[in-house]
Amino acid sequence: MKKKDVINYINVFLFLLPALALFIFILIAPIFKSLYYSFFDWNGMTDMTFVGIDNYKELFTSKPIYFWKSLGNACLLAALSVFIQLPISLGFALILGRGIKGERPFLSIYFMPVLISTVVIGQLWLKIYNPDYGLLTVALQKMGFADLCKPWLGDERTALMCVFIPTLWQYVGYHMLLLYAGVKGVSPDIREAARIDGASESQVNRYIVIPSIKPILKVSVIFAVTGSLKSYDLIYVLTPSGGPKHCTEVPSTRLFEMLISRNRYGMGSAIAVVMIILCFAFALMISQAFKERDIYGK
Amino acid sequence: MKRKLLSLLMTGAMVLSLAACGGGSTGSTGSTGSTGSTGSTGSTGSTTSEPSATADETIDTFSGELTMWCIATESDSNRHSYEAAIADMAEKYPNITLNWEAFENESYKTKIKAAVSANDMPDIFFTWSCAFLQDFVDAGRVYCLDDAYQAFKSELPESMLGNSTYDGHHYGVPLTMNIVGLFANMDLLAQVGYTEIPGTYDEFIACCDALKAAGIIPFGCAGKETWCVTEYLESVIEKSVGADALNDIFLGRATWNNADVAAAVDTFQSLVTNGYFDPNGIALSNDEVKNNFMDGKYAFYMNGTWNCADFAKNEAFFPKVRVGEFPVINADKAQLGQLIGGPSDTLAVAAGSAHPEVAAQYCFELGKLICHYGYLDGCGLPAWTPYGDTSSVNGLTQAVAEICGNATGYVLFGDTAMNADDARTYLDYVAMVYGCEVNGQEFIDGLTNDIR
Repeated sequence: MKKKDVINYINVFLFLLPALALFIFILIAPIFKSLYYSFFDWNGMTDMTFVGIDNYKELFTSKPIYFWKSLGNACLLAALSVFIQLPISLGFALILGRGIKGERPFLSIYFMPVLISTVVIGQLWLKIYNPDYGLLTVALQKMGFADLCKPWLGDERTALMCVFIPTLWQYVGYHMLLLYAGVKGVSPDIREAARIDGASESQVNRYIVIPSIKPILKVSVIFAVTGSLKSYDLIYVLTPSGGPKHCTEVPSTRLFEMLISRNRYGMGSAIAVVMIILCFAFALMISQAFKERDIYGK
Repeated sequence: MKRKLLSLLMTGAMVLSLAACGGGSTGSTGSTGSTGSTGSTGSTGSTTSEPSATADETIDTFSGELTMWCIATESDSNRHSYEAAIADMAEKYPNITLNWEAFENESYKTKIKAAVSANDMPDIFFTWSCAFLQDFVDAGRVYCLDDAYQAFKSELPESMLGNSTYDGHHYGVPLTMNIVGLFANMDLLAQVGYTEIPGTYDEFIACCDALKAAGIIPFGCAGKETWCVTEYLESVIEKSVGADALNDIFLGRATWNNADVAAAVDTFQSLVTNGYFDPNGIALSNDEVKNNFMDGKYAFYMNGTWNCADFAKNEAFFPKVRVGEFPVINADKAQLGQLIGGPSDTLAVAAGSAHPEVAAQYCFELGKLICHYGYLDGCGLPAWTPYGDTSSVNGLTQAVAEICGNATGYVLFGDTAMNADDARTYLDYVAMVYGCEVNGQEFIDGLTNDIR
């Protein structure tokens, strides 16, 4: 290696060092600290007792922990995000990306829920779902479907979907904006060329635009899936006790319950470690899936 | 590959650098800040001179700042009593500045636990007694109040310190005490021919049947907040098995494996399955249910007597409401006068405080005043011996005082008496009982097995 290259490497390393130190201190160290705590029985205040992998055993085998149920719910939310939320976002992005009249106002309107505090959104939806005076209940009563009215968040058959709907709704605008940026980045010349060749609008989208924005689609899918695995705030606001029969539990709510409500720092840390592993695993799998389908065959 | 790795690292570093730049001045933001409310009293303001940290400092000679955390937010019924008490203290001790913050109930539990873990607590903090405080005491984070208590012994009966006494040492200053009361909307009861709250269980059930037949929902209960269900369930269990038996179970002196408890749980569940509870209640919060009760939707509402203050404030509703005791179900084992509740709201002093002795003295005096004003406001009964003119206390609170005057035994709220982990397991099973997922036998079997 030439001396100049060595100096370059040292310079790069020195420039990176502060950020790297920050990264390790804020992100990597807590992960390893969580891993360490997960091998202990500890209430966060008194002495720790080493229990090996007992917390993990209990996590995966004990029914009262409700981990499998929470994981199933998170996977369902991830699936709904990928197969319902993202197609809607993509649809909006394709329509708005064409340069329709009122493009900017529509963009702002669809993005607005992302800007509103999740707690505020939770409160709004609580008013919609209220079984006494909620918008949904009143609308059904006015339309003559009073029999269908129920305590939406208190019925295990409806609570999960009632929690997922606002969660999906809130982030449609976020994914739409990501994809919109991609759609706008597709050269008008390519579109024009396709149209001259006789392609319809849907064909242009299918064969030109969507393949061109695959890298952004990949990012959106990763965000949607990992975001679903980590989802917490809106679910907690709508169903603070985990819903009837724990039907709205997700891993994050179980983590909070163990760590804060039960003072079980070891078990909470074990859940955190499993969540981190799952998020990484899903991100890698999604990257791999998109890589195989790269239009350039690489 | 190396180049890719390097570019990836550089990208990550840039993103982090940007994020760090953007967040550089936001160190003071956070969830607690947005939910809390703050106050500062004292003539010296926030620029008080450095406190004199001498070993023999007293509240009279001390000059400086003390900090306090509590749950008396703007919407809390205790807010006024805290403000009035703190104002009195500021007048009496002008050299002491109390910087206090109030946080919403649930978020406070998180905050205080995190503060205890980090040993970064305010000088004085609000806490619940029994198991909640015990965790902090066991961790060595709470200052022992034995010495400071001596000066207040004549005004604060030692029996009131029982829930905050561990290994014979006192660690908390009780404020008000509360019990679970059976609140009744007498207008609705009158519609089905009752002028009094039914005194026996059979009459009570007959009353519920009559209410149901008249299209009136007998009970409102917030299923979304499981502690509200325990207010009903614990009363039913206590009036079936007796206060001593329930106390033994809550305090770990006996197991849950008790056939009488199973039968009591079945009795409670029969109230649910008979349709006495608002079916929508399962999706409502306690505030929503309480408002429904005040709006005349339910005939009965079983909840803590701290609600007396809110009921008294509602001029249209107050003349209609009366408070009573849940009737005895099994007279062989239980009797009237056995109540759920006791002194739980407590102030404590951090062991790590820079001025623990001053904070302890301040804590007792402040606690006495909060208790006094809280009693006058109807937020609960006084844990301290009442003083001054108490004729303004609302009739509902006076009725509660009468019930407590005839009390023969108290059982502290189950989720307060048990440690955090056991309490959550217990609440899980209570929710299952309310949702009719488990019956009485499954309830006691589950708790026997799952409580660690």
